[in-house]
Amino acid sequence: MAGKWQLKDHEKERALFANRLFVASGVVVFLFAALLLKLIDLQVTQYDYFASRADGNRLHSQFVPPARGLIYDRSGSLLADNQPIFNLNIVRERVEDLDQTLDLISTLIALSAEEREQFAQRLQRRRVPFSSVPLRFVLSEDEKARLSVNAYRLPGVSIEPQFVRSYPSAALNAHALGYVSEINRDELDGFDDQTRENYGGTNHIGKTGVERTYEDLLHGQVGYEVVEKNNRGQVMRRLERTDPVAGRNLTLYLESRLQAVAHEALGDFRGAVVAIEPSTGGILAMVSKPGFDPNLFVTGISNADYSRLVTDNVNTPLFDRTVNPYPPASTVKPFIGLGGLQLGFTDQETVIQDPGYFRLPGVRYRWGDYTLRTAIGGGHGETNLQRAIFQSCDTFFYDLGYRMGIDNIHDFLSQFGFGQNFALDIAYARTGVLPSREWKQRTRNEPWYPGDTINSSIGQGYMWATPLQLATATAIAANKGKVVRPRMLAAIDGEPYEPALPDDGVSATVQVADSDHWRYIEESMTMVVHRPYSDVFRDYGTAYEAIARADRQMSYKMAGKSGSAQVVSIAQDILQSSDIDISDLNKDHALFVAYGPAQHPSIAPQIAVAVFVENGQHGSSVAGPVAKAVIDAYLLDILQIDFAALEVDPDALLSDAGATEFAAATNRLSSSTEHLGHRHD
Amino acid sequence: MSAAAGRDFVRQSQLDLAQPRRLRSVWQVVHIDPVLFVGLLLLCGFGLFVLNSATGGDFAIVRRQAAIMGGGFALMVVLAQFDIQFYRRWAPTAYGCAVAVLGLVLLVGVEKNGARSWLDLPGLPSFQPSELLKFIVPMLVAWYLASRPMPPRFKHIFWAGLITLVPAALIVLQNDMGTALMVTMSGIFVLLLAGLRWRLVFTGVLAAVVASPAWYLFLAQPHQKNRILTFFDPYLDPTGAGYNIIQSQIAIGSGGLYGKGYGNGAQSHLDFIPESHTDFILAVLAEEFGLLGVLLLIALYLFVIARGAVIALNATDMFGRLLAGSLTLTFFLYLFVNMGMVTGLLPVIGLPLPLISRGGTAVGTLFIGFGLLMSIQTHKRGGNSR
Repeated sequence: MAGKWQLKDHEKERALFANRLFVASGVVVFLFAALLLKLIDLQVTQYDYFASRADGNRLHSQFVPPARGLIYDRSGSLLADNQPIFNLNIVRERVEDLDQTLDLISTLIALSAEEREQFAQRLQRRRVPFSSVPLRFVLSEDEKARLSVNAYRLPGVSIEPQFVRSYPSAALNAHALGYVSEINRDELDGFDDQTRENYGGTNHIGKTGVERTYEDLLHGQVGYEVVEKNNRGQVMRRLERTDPVAGRNLTLYLESRLQAVAHEALGDFRGAVVAIEPSTGGILAMVSKPGFDPNLFVTGISNADYSRLVTDNVNTPLFDRTVNPYPPASTVKPFIGLGGLQLGFTDQETVIQDPGYFRLPGVRYRWGDYTLRTAIGGGHGETNLQRAIFQSCDTFFYDLGYRMGIDNIHDFLSQFGFGQNFALDIAYARTGVLPSREWKQRTRNEPWYPGDTINSSIGQGYMWATPLQLATATAIAANKGKVVRPRMLAAIDGEPYEPALPDDGVSATVQVADSDHWRYIEESMTMVVHRPYSDVFRDYGTAYEAIARADRQMSYKMAGKSGSAQVVSIAQDILQSSDIDISDLNKDHALFVAYGPAQHPSIAPQIAVAVFVENGQHGSSVAGPVAKAVIDAYLLDILQIDFAALEVDPDALLSDAGATEFAAATNRLSSSTEHLGHRHD
Repeated sequence: MSAAAGRDFVRQSQLDLAQPRRLRSVWQVVHIDPVLFVGLLLLCGFGLFVLNSATGGDFAIVRRQAAIMGGGFALMVVLAQFDIQFYRRWAPTAYGCAVAVLGLVLLVGVEKNGARSWLDLPGLPSFQPSELLKFIVPMLVAWYLASRPMPPRFKHIFWAGLITLVPAALIVLQNDMGTALMVTMSGIFVLLLAGLRWRLVFTGVLAAVVASPAWYLFLAQPHQKNRILTFFDPYLDPTGAGYNIIQSQIAIGSGGLYGKGYGNGAQSHLDFIPESHTDFILAVLAEEFGLLGVLLLIALYLFVIARGAVIALNATDMFGRLLAGSLTLTFFLYLFVNMGMVTGLLPVIGLPLPLISRGGTAVGTLFIGFGLLMSIQTHKRGGNSR
């Protein structure tokens, strides 16, 4: 050991150490220099790049979606509202064990396998890190409470509010109003740049009905804000903001009380009711039954609900029967009769002898009287136009139609909107068919045969019309020729809305030279409802039994016309899939058009109605009472016209009581349209 | 030494007694090195200042950190009262105890942050025994090599290596690679300062370079591979493994030359910087004070390191020199690894920035080291190099 000590040379060792320390110091200085170069690279050379990256990190320009315009009915009831809902969202990055978290959530609230599946799909999509992904829409108060209490066990899970469309009347107005739902890929692709920008913060778009037609008015203008966000995407503060412009509030002509009455009156039948205010063309009711709950679509309809709606081939709840064409059958008779009068093919007195069938000259085939098919047989005997209308005599119209020819029928009926879409804001309505030589040649590549004319003269064969078209034609008849265009929108933000008429060559009035023809037709249609039974064979109105006789207290007169349309064919898949009795599906469709009050000395017709009852079989007895219920509700309950009081002194309105009563009634009438203007603030 | 020189020495020492002795005596008596003390005070003050912004003005955290630092200073001063020869005498015993405790940790240790390195004994605050090895290992290696010829021979290198690697291996078993690496380096620093031949140094470096691909392919754990990959390209996984370094670089780069101002660091205050109180606090500093702020920090560090080097150079014996040099270099390695990691110069290794990052254990270890440095500086035997 001692030898080793002697070997140590302290000065030399000290020098060695100093040398090593010197080298180490050099290395330290070198490494600091490298660090400095790196810092200069980051903070000086690349400063601009990193500065903008930092701003990009924290500053986010985001859209502020506008509040969607509300929709009111004519009386100010809210048809479409915006409701806050609370959604359960998850930030995936903040959840450690997703399955465990989902299992825990499902012990707190009902969470279907489908919802978990949809959530998994949403997670798969490209998204910003730390963005929240919805697991469940629309939490109830109870569910919110249970989740909040357990929030500490659920990191990364949050309850967030959102405003969505809500339809308080549910199925009642579903078809007319339509619904909003999530914007889909196709719609996004169809946007131009400006629209895409405007929808930047919007999730929903109108898909059908008014929601779709007036999407531009309802949507509003998107706002913007620049916010500072932290690393979890939480907004820390707002730096700039351009407020969104809310969508416009719309008031429709629709009267939800009338909708409810029509809905109720149709009972268990499938069918449609359209009611129009003749003076404006405003659509007072537009019901297709069965309906569906439009609220289901707003937050994304479940597969089960959707397949239930679309696989029901018989009830077809999503299908809007008000704008779908059916054979109008005898409901076209007043219009053809009027054409015969105007064009001189018949007059008010001309009588034909009806044997119960019609034959073309030189043809053995008999066109039977369809109306009498199930009755005792035989004909109507001596029949003029009036009787042919209130008794719905086919033979008379076979003859008249044959003599008029399809060209005259087509030209005259087209003035009432048959074969066209007269509606101003129901673009999705179908046009039906008002057949013509040209139409048949074009669509079937066949010439027009005289027999085709005969079928058309009783509204069968190639003739098809929608309930909306029938209501429109009836409203024009109620106006005695003044053409009105059906429309939904009455006011925007409380300001009455008068749309510009499209330049589509539609004449403002139906060309009828002698106004007595109108009186005559109204009289005939009134007889359909009011002409009672008498000793004369087949001399009563077809709807007398079901309407005037059923309500002997009826205080006003109603003009109407029934129709029973043959069911053309039933799709094979319906026959196989349905549990409904097939014989029911073969039954005729029942139709009824009507307006009221008719033949009133002082009050013009206030409402025109078309009723379509699928497989209802009897126009007068099934569809007639529905029309009666709707007109009653409108005239007596909504407008509150007291016809009995008005008739105290029918000749002179000068007497005090009568004048006051009348003034009151007319005030109610005018105020019913006037109050549209200042209902909403 | 000649007689004349001896006389001179006597005279000088008398002169020395007359003047510098009084100067020296104030600090020698309290055993504090004023230069190092001031340097550390400035560093700690700056650290608290940055921490205050990094925590968003959370005064409770800052106050707690200040208390820990105060405790650190106290510990340093207390340790400095003991003569460095005392530590030298007790080094083998301390080493033996520390290794025994490391073994105990393997049996009854508590896991925190993935490393089973904590000892939670009743009646004692929980602590990481592995931290102690950061100065006990260089101490024993210095003890061993100081009494052997320099440069060390192969046999001595072997034993010094064994002294270093046994605790390092135990720490690896605790799954704490960072500490194991620092402990190993502190031992290697002693060897390097003791004059390990350059030939061997370069051979070692070369061997490490050659072995590293093999390590990467066969031994590295997935998260370690990930760190290496993201070091080369953080954008391979910008929201995962690369997120920290990307956000940290954005913070540093956007600070520019002068910074965004105290408390205005958007990256840190909006929580884009992960671990902004601890490992990544340099990003907060660089964002708010810019390049100039980082330069100030580097200057303070350099000051402390330079003082450590001076103490090492002036130490009266080889044990003190080796220990002081190793402690100083370990301190540098600490801060450089952190700064390199945060700026993207080095792969991510979870080490705090000394005296700036929040945390107690690291501060304690550092001040023990500084206490040893002060002991080396203030307990001298009359200028004799032995």
